[in-house]
Amino acid sequence: MGSSAAHQLKQLKPLYQHVVNNFVAVLAAPLAVAAVVNAARVGPDELIGRLQALRAVHVFLAVFVAAAAATLYVMLRPRSVYLVDYACFRTRPNCRVPFATFLEHAKLVTFVEGASIDERSVRFMTRLLERSGLGEETCLPPAHHYIPPYRNMEASRAEVELVIFSAIDDLLAKTGISPNAIDVLVVNCSLFAPIPSFTDMIIHRYGMRPDIRNVHLSGMGCSAGLISVGLAKNFLQVAPKGAHALVVSTETITPNYYVGKERAMLLPNCLFRIGGAAVLLSTSRARARFRLARVVRTLTGAQDSAYRCVFQEEDGEGHRGINLSKDLMTIAGDALKANITAIGPLVLPASEQLLFALSFIARRVLNRHVKPYLPDFRTAFEHFCIHAGGRAVIDELQRSLGLSDQDVEASRMALHRFGNTSSSSVWYELAYIEAKGRMRRGDRVWMIGFGSGFKCNSAAWECIAPACTAEGPWAESISRYPVDIPEVLKH
Amino acid sequence: MVFEQEQEEVAPGAVHGHRLSTVVPSSVTGEVDYALADADLAFKLHYLRGVYYYPPGEVARGLATKVLKDPMFPWLDDYFPVAGRVRRAEQEAAGGEGDAGAPRRPYIKCNDCGVRIVEAKCDRDMDEWLRDDAPDRLRQLCYDKVLGPELFFSPLLYVQITNFKCGGLALGFSWAHLIGDVPSAVTCFNKWAQILSGKKPEDTVLTPLNKPVQGQSPAGVTAPRSVKQVGPIEDHWLVSAGRDMACYSFHVSDAVLKKLQQQQKGRHDAAAGTFELVSALAWQTVAKIRGGDVDTVTVVRTGAAARSGKSLANEMTVGYVASAGSSPAKTDVAELAALLAKNVVDETAAVAAFQGDVLVYGGANLTLMDMEQVNVYALEIKGLRPVHVEYGMDGVGEEGAVLVQPDADGRGRLVTAVLPRDEIDSLRAALGTALQVA
Repeated sequence: MGSSAAHQLKQLKPLYQHVVNNFVAVLAAPLAVAAVVNAARVGPDELIGRLQALRAVHVFLAVFVAAAAATLYVMLRPRSVYLVDYACFRTRPNCRVPFATFLEHAKLVTFVEGASIDERSVRFMTRLLERSGLGEETCLPPAHHYIPPYRNMEASRAEVELVIFSAIDDLLAKTGISPNAIDVLVVNCSLFAPIPSFTDMIIHRYGMRPDIRNVHLSGMGCSAGLISVGLAKNFLQVAPKGAHALVVSTETITPNYYVGKERAMLLPNCLFRIGGAAVLLSTSRARARFRLARVVRTLTGAQDSAYRCVFQEEDGEGHRGINLSKDLMTIAGDALKANITAIGPLVLPASEQLLFALSFIARRVLNRHVKPYLPDFRTAFEHFCIHAGGRAVIDELQRSLGLSDQDVEASRMALHRFGNTSSSSVWYELAYIEAKGRMRRGDRVWMIGFGSGFKCNSAAWECIAPACTAEGPWAESISRYPVDIPEVLKH
Repeated sequence: MVFEQEQEEVAPGAVHGHRLSTVVPSSVTGEVDYALADADLAFKLHYLRGVYYYPPGEVARGLATKVLKDPMFPWLDDYFPVAGRVRRAEQEAAGGEGDAGAPRRPYIKCNDCGVRIVEAKCDRDMDEWLRDDAPDRLRQLCYDKVLGPELFFSPLLYVQITNFKCGGLALGFSWAHLIGDVPSAVTCFNKWAQILSGKKPEDTVLTPLNKPVQGQSPAGVTAPRSVKQVGPIEDHWLVSAGRDMACYSFHVSDAVLKKLQQQQKGRHDAAAGTFELVSALAWQTVAKIRGGDVDTVTVVRTGAAARSGKSLANEMTVGYVASAGSSPAKTDVAELAALLAKNVVDETAAVAAFQGDVLVYGGANLTLMDMEQVNVYALEIKGLRPVHVEYGMDGVGEEGAVLVQPDADGRGRLVTAVLPRDEIDSLRAALGTALQVA
């Protein structure tokens, strides 16, 4: 096909989209016109005559059946869940870890008794950090500023309290809600699960009601934030109308500094940083800012390779760490495809779905060399919050989804400013988009999280009201963003 | 946060439980390099060790480590070169006059790497500790590391926070002389205390920038008389003296000062100030314990008028004084003081221009350092003034050094002598008589 033909096809695309997306209207319009024309031709007197000939019973039945169907539909439909507001943990300058400090500490830990980390590991971490896409302002918990870092329970609890109490305080201030108005509490933190749990910590600190439904999700990986949102959504279906659910997503870095020398296990040391978010959901639309359209969870753990992809274990010398396998990108790509296949039909407009279906049929029936059609998700969403798992993850997703640099800017900049904050990274990215003033009423947001398992979870939101203040984790730094992130950071 | 990891065997009364952490500037400095002046490099083998003692009480009890650390982050924003690390310049193009084997010029890379904080404890009461008057107690309260052997990873400043059993607190600063002289260091520390107390300190002046290579004297010239050439120094910036050096502090009371001033009343050239008198006393005492042979002394002074106003600089004057013929052990203190007042041969520029590595303190001669104008007692933490401050030095050569500082009430003087350890006892004995108010 010549390029001029392709160009013409491109120009026809908007027309095609209008026709297919508004198919019902496109079909109904001529029919309505035909009916009106017909009625006009028949004449008003004739029409009235026909109406009077209708029997009352039939009319009543018709109206009743329609009303009953409508009522049943409204009652059985799931309740809409809204996001009242969210607050991310605002990092403090006294937690800042520049590159040079991180590497110097790693080097000094090589002299510590009991640590196996060596010179080669430090050089490896240097190369990783240079190419990681992280900036000089990312933060680690206070316990990690010590040489060697403290990894005990007291230090871990101190980090948890620092992060989640300040995020929840911010959220309560923003929403004006009182802690005993919260009916559901869901917290997720993969790598630290003390007794009593985080939910008990929060209930204790804020004096919440004794009948609050609370769950702590542990071990669910970096996509657990969206799993928690899904769980809270389900809780809200059976809670009293207008109930509030508090969802807190965080990851506790303190107990997880790896002091061995396995390369596959050194990567988390370099990428994971302190962070957390608190989100208030409700079935009441009053003062809501977003509506939760969909939560779609896909899990590929039935396959061996996906199951072992991100695996917490002890290395040959007994040091515990998280082992990332070499085919992480491939598995992430597969999980993403599974998720897209699940969420596509739910969010994509009919035009894209038709094209995808046609391309699918074409590949099966006609010719395997026909390229699979990549649905344009920008027809379904205005903003994308892709979990900032690492530079490679964001690049891979940008490629797989055919997104532009501006679409993934929130993810790249969140990675640069905050590092990989695990399950809360999607919230930092949403905060970036709002801080930049790009959110408008009616905009749709797609949050994608990846995590061990291997899971890929999505949540689709629709904006009701953009943020009205500039408060948030980006308040001091947003003026410096976006920055150009070099391939290799000089240091 | 209380993090206990007690595994070591602790000698009774020793400082133990050292926990290291790092403090960095609160905002990103960016890719900035701080050039070192020739004067800075002349002092690179010396390290200031200053200890401030704070009495137990309500205020000291409220000084948790976090309270002390938090103001350091904005403090380092102003003093970002102190948070940097030493690097060597890239090799210049071959064919220049410099020999290929000569080490490249060091500079500070301001990479925000940070300042090291050490937390430690001592199971004794602070009063007991001070009364004991043990030699070299400074070394226990200031983390005694130097630049090197891993030059790239050596902090320029260590701050040690030692908690005594009684609740008293000691702050020990280990400052690389390379980055600034005593007045620069003390001003720097005072600014931290001001931020801690909620006051806004004066602006830090780091301009004009040091020119990388100033007028260098030609190679092959002998070192100025005030200093001793050493090296060449590679990456471990410490010349280990053959003998163990120790710091010992003693107090010259108001009464003794008056007596010394009386003694010089009769002379026609009564121009000597307190520094000259006190250091002359020290000179005489050291000469006595060494049995003569301290004919020349190096004098390092802060001339307040000569300072440029830069917050980080090495601007002390360096010179030497030769005793006129007679042995200092037998000369009057008043006469030695007159020599120190009048006959100093200034070699500041020559020392800076000299190309090789030198030891200024204790290198060629006993070195007398004037710290009288330095306001050490201004380091008030939340209104709490230190009860005692002593400044010593590490990296001092075998000839030794004497530092003359103001004391707590400002009328007497505190003198710290840095001498070979085996001379300390003799010094104490000799001082016993010298400091009597007859």
